[in-house]
Amino acid sequence: MNVEEARPDPHDLPKQRAGITPQMVGRYPTYDVLSQTSHWDETTRRVVLDRVENVPPIEFFTEGEALTLDAFCNIVTAQDSEPRIAVLNYIDEKLQRGERDGWRFFDMPDDDELWRLVARGLDEEARHHAHDSFADAPVETQVGIVHRFSKADLHGGVWEQVNLSRAFSVVMRYVAQAFYGHPWAWNEIGFGGPAYPRGYGAFGSPHLGEEESWEADESAHYDPVRDVRQRGLD
Amino acid sequence: MTLLKGSVAMPRDNDSAFLLDKHKRGLQNLDRMARYPLDETVDMLIVGAGAGGGVLAQRLARAGWRVVVLERGPFWDPDRDWVSDEKGSSGLYWTENRIISGNDPIQMGKNNSGVGVGGSMTHFAGYTPRLHPSDFETRTRDGVGVDWPISYWELQESFERVERELPVAGEFWPWGDPHGYPHGPHPVAGAASVAWQGARNHGIEMRVGPVAITNGVFGNRPHCIYRGFCLEGCKVNAKASPLITHFPDAVERGCEIRADSMATRVEVDDATGRISGVTYMTDGKERFQRAAAVAVCGYAIETPRLLLNSACPRHPNGLGNNDDQVGRYVMVQGATQTAARFPEMLRMYKAPPPEISSEQFYETDERRGFARGFSIQTISPMPIGWAEHVLAEGHWGQGLREYMRDYNHWTVLGILAEFLPQPENRVTLADVKDANGMPVAHFNYNMCENDHAIVDFASDILDKIWDGARAQDTLTIDRYAHLVGGARMGFSPDDSVVDSNHRVWGVDNLFVVDGAVLPTQGAANPALVIMALADRCAGLLAKKRAA
Ligand SMILES: Cc1cc2nc3c(=O)[nH]c(=O)nc-3n(C[C@H](O)[C@H](O)[C@H](O)COP(=O)(O)OP(=O)(O)OC[C@H]3O[C@@H](n4cnc5c(N)ncnc54)[C@H](O)[C@@H]3O)c2cc1C
Ligand code: SF4
Repeated sequence: MNVEEARPDPHDLPKQRAGITPQMVGRYPTYDVLSQTSHWDETTRRVVLDRVENVPPIEFFTEGEALTLDAFCNIVTAQDSEPRIAVLNYIDEKLQRGERDGWRFFDMPDDDELWRLVARGLDEEARHHAHDSFADAPVETQVGIVHRFSKADLHGGVWEQVNLSRAFSVVMRYVAQAFYGHPWAWNEIGFGGPAYPRGYGAFGSPHLGEEESWEADESAHYDPVRDVRQRGLD
Repeated sequence: MTLLKGSVAMPRDNDSAFLLDKHKRGLQNLDRMARYPLDETVDMLIVGAGAGGGVLAQRLARAGWRVVVLERGPFWDPDRDWVSDEKGSSGLYWTENRIISGNDPIQMGKNNSGVGVGGSMTHFAGYTPRLHPSDFETRTRDGVGVDWPISYWELQESFERVERELPVAGEFWPWGDPHGYPHGPHPVAGAASVAWQGARNHGIEMRVGPVAITNGVFGNRPHCIYRGFCLEGCKVNAKASPLITHFPDAVERGCEIRADSMATRVEVDDATGRISGVTYMTDGKERFQRAAAVAVCGYAIETPRLLLNSACPRHPNGLGNNDDQVGRYVMVQGATQTAARFPEMLRMYKAPPPEISSEQFYETDERRGFARGFSIQTISPMPIGWAEHVLAEGHWGQGLREYMRDYNHWTVLGILAEFLPQPENRVTLADVKDANGMPVAHFNYNMCENDHAIVDFASDILDKIWDGARAQDTLTIDRYAHLVGGARMGFSPDDSVVDSNHRVWGVDNLFVVDGAVLPTQGAANPALVIMALADRCAGLLAKKRAA
């Protein structure tokens, strides 16, 4: 993958017509998982709707850290315009509550400390490029820094304190949970969402590709493997 | 293929399925649950309400023992506590700190262990294959691993009993000791059917199941609704876990389960050398329950941790650890997954992730250049799990988004490779402590040459299957699953922690009855064998007391 990758998508994906997707693009322009909430059990409905209706405030990170990390989260999820999933807010909430994923590499700091180190490291790196902070740097610079972070190719200062490839994988795990746990992202990828108590009757047996009446069809076809390759992004 | 709908044989000595309610998922008899005072010496105190602890508790309560179970996590009510949502299910996993190291550090949490009544099985996928007879004598047959002090045939009846209780659904099983299942095979969803076609095109046999998911009437447990959230806890009560397969009956027979109770030390009476009970933390307070015997059933990581943390003047290195065996020989299975893309919409989030599997490569074949083997199984990650595949390939930004938009075109096959037991793959106590001041577990793991050779060979087979299915593209990630070992069963104190009756060497009334006792692991998912071992152990204990 090269630096190009994180640039705004040059593709003309269809505009979302029903519901919301991040940046209002996706392959299922008429699909809105949130139109199905009346089919979900109450416990699940409360948990999922909360993500949309009650975005948690930033409490764990300082204002400066939040600015930096918010910019970082937007770069790594290619969120270049509204509507955006507030990735950092969900990460902040998890750290604030002291929730973890159940392990720590022996040579790594605790996850909360790691996130703060990453914020400092990104700012230090931006200053090498003569910007006040990561958030102040132009998108091209931010993308370049993230690219080198992903390749474990950052040196000096904070970066000497951690195993970089582990650090990148830890923070990206938090990012993926926040982003792909959100119903707007489900609209974008055509995921069915909660399925209790309704379940599925049409699951491709015996007819491959069969769908429930409420599942929308895909309206744009790309094979990402070929596409990413063709665009020289791999 | 014959479709056997409905229950063929209900279990005889377990009424759990009838004690549940058709429309409510939680236990219905908790208001009748026994309460034992702390100073009463109960007959058996069990630490951990998981696969091993659940079966042991139910069996002993049935035999008239006064049983108390201490469980670190909550007493789940699936209606109230579980959600049909991936991110919202993190409470099911053991997410407290564990330190990992080694050349191949093993990630914990949702990848391998659970918390709360039902243990890891509340969110296990549901595959319940048996071990093969060969698994019990790999040293004799193949010159690797170690022989068990018991044979397959000593567990055969226990396998059958547990299969009836879960109940297990699947096609007739041609591998290992050939056998049938109480429930017929579930229908196969689109995502798994393309894999099956690919396997057939390469002459690889696959079968439907075996899964611990109802496929017909089973007491008051409903039929599976194919919603696909098995790893998030089954809100339907279709997928088995001790919470619904063993604890309803245990409670009815006088077993007390103390949820939210974390055992911190197994205590030894200095004068007699016998175990006197267990110290545990509940609600921030320390308690001590007296017991005539204790069974530790806390999972391959927590069981060694508790034994090591119970060091005392008579056992300065921890219980059962006079010969430096506790925490050693912890095993994981190599669980490499290869995802494949197809032009059709497969929507792999539908239907249970465990659908079809193959044990064609389970046994040693010298021509392959390694000992032992692997099995092949379908798995279907939800979006966050799928994002982990994409991230592992190094994609982020637009690349991540684009692969993720393609989610519905992909399906995933995984292997379970038998990794060998090694003494240095070990749980020890870390310097770091938990909120109770108890040192957390440190788990070090290195693969050996044979392990690498199996994974390489098996990954090629996955590629072949996808090639045979005409997949357009594939993505592979290396991962590990299913921790067992750490307090293994053996022939003498210098090669193991427990004897063939699960009794800890040198401590008369202390037992280990969970995945920690496995000397080898085969290429089968471990839950069924853990339950079968607990069934056998309970039978031996009850018989001994009756005599
Ligand atoms: C995502 C996932 C998928 C899986 N899929 C499969 C599958 O398809 N098939 C299969 O066979 N296996 C599967 N497994 C593995 C299987 O669930 C476990 O191997 C099995 O449940 C282990 O049984 P156990 O009795 O050793 O421990 P567990 O079932 O984990 O039970 C241990 C219990 O002890 C409690 N405990 C631990 N320490 C203490 C303490 N000090 N005090 C009080 N309580 C304590 C824990 O909270 C836990 O509830 C899967 C696991 C995971 C995570
Ligand atoms: S797919 Fe079936 S077994 Fe799995 S969670 Fe849903 S209802 Fe339960």
